[in-house]
Amino acid sequence: MEAPDEQLMLAYRDGDAGAFETLYRRHRARLYRFVLRGVKSRATAEELYQEIWIRVIEARERYTPQARFTTWLYTIAHHMLVDHWRQRGLSLVSLDGSESIPDAAADPQAQAAARQGLTRFMQALEALPPVQREAFLLHEEAGLTVAEIASATGSNEQAAKSRLRYALAKLKAAVDG
Amino acid sequence: MADEDRDPTVSQRYRELGREEPPPELDAAILAASRRAAEVHPAPLVAPTGRRRWYFPVAAAAIIVLAAAVTFHMDRQQPEPDMPVAAAPAPESAKTPVIKPSAVERKAPRAEAPKRERRTDDARKPAAYSFAPEPPAQTAEAQRAAAAPATQGAASAPAARSEVHAARLMAQAESPERTLERIAELRRQGRHEEADQALKEFRKRYPDYKIPEAMLQKVEKK
Repeated sequence: MEAPDEQLMLAYRDGDAGAFETLYRRHRARLYRFVLRGVKSRATAEELYQEIWIRVIEARERYTPQARFTTWLYTIAHHMLVDHWRQRGLSLVSLDGSESIPDAAADPQAQAAARQGLTRFMQALEALPPVQREAFLLHEEAGLTVAEIASATGSNEQAAKSRLRYALAKLKAAVDG
Repeated sequence: MADEDRDPTVSQRYRELGREEPPPELDAAILAASRRAAEVHPAPLVAPTGRRRWYFPVAAAAIIVLAAAVTFHMDRQQPEPDMPVAAAPAPESAKTPVIKPSAVERKAPRAEAPKRERRTDDARKPAAYSFAPEPPAQTAEAQRAAAAPATQGAASAPAARSEVHAARLMAQAESPERTLERIAELRRQGRHEEADQALKEFRKRYPDYKIPEAMLQKVEKK
């Protein structure tokens, strides 16, 4: 059975580089998508993504497993995104997602409909207020509970739950629309 | 996770957006940085004893001396305006976290460094981010000298750079709470750019520190 995240991070704190590599490979894709969906460009996302991990590395000696490692990781990511949004005036972001829209079927009409549906969904995701989009991504991508979202974002559970539900309602409307 | 917080159709549509992953070169850079950091002997979990006990007080004293020397040099360059003396910081409370020296150092600011190359220096080099186990008490003169540049007005370019450097050195010897108070003071004075920069550096130094709501209202730009 694989070691839990917290144990791996403690091992890395104590000098085990292999533990970090295992930890990194577990979380790299989800964290990357979380950042990518929250910023304007892929280049910016890569820069922020790298910076998040650098901060994890630098903070390893202060790490104590008071919460889930995932919550701790995404708390760091949250702060990075907040700084990024603040510098850019919380403007809405667009994603270069055209290459990420898969073809649903060989039928051109079906493909077009699928693209339209995904485009609509992506636009709805982009149009969410940053705090709602972040709550959705923390829940959907990172797998955080409402309580953990509240902890990571420095808010309370009521606010986190509210943001998540508003986000879901808007995205649901985009799916059904 | 409660079911009411998840909608299967939304989740499905979200997954259809794509399963992007970081590029391999980004993975390599991050893993290389992690290995370099792990190669440096990690700080002990308990306070050092014996031969290594002298590291931390010497490092703290060096920071204070350097900060005082820089600010003294600035004072000699230009007349010191009639500014109020900064209040002595409160005695460090038991809540002050024990901070271990960091072995991972960055190069120059990101814009000047290769995009994905992060370098760490070994522990032999006096770390700019070194901390004492407990932040040392500063003499009143050192406090005044260190605080004065932060309250001076526009200066020449070299003096301005020294001011920023001295402020950073002072910040590095502060507790998180004291740092936040300083940022709040900057914000109250309308010095938003400095406050933004200080807050950004605070986030870097304490990425998982949860700022109390009351303090957050004071340090964040409205």
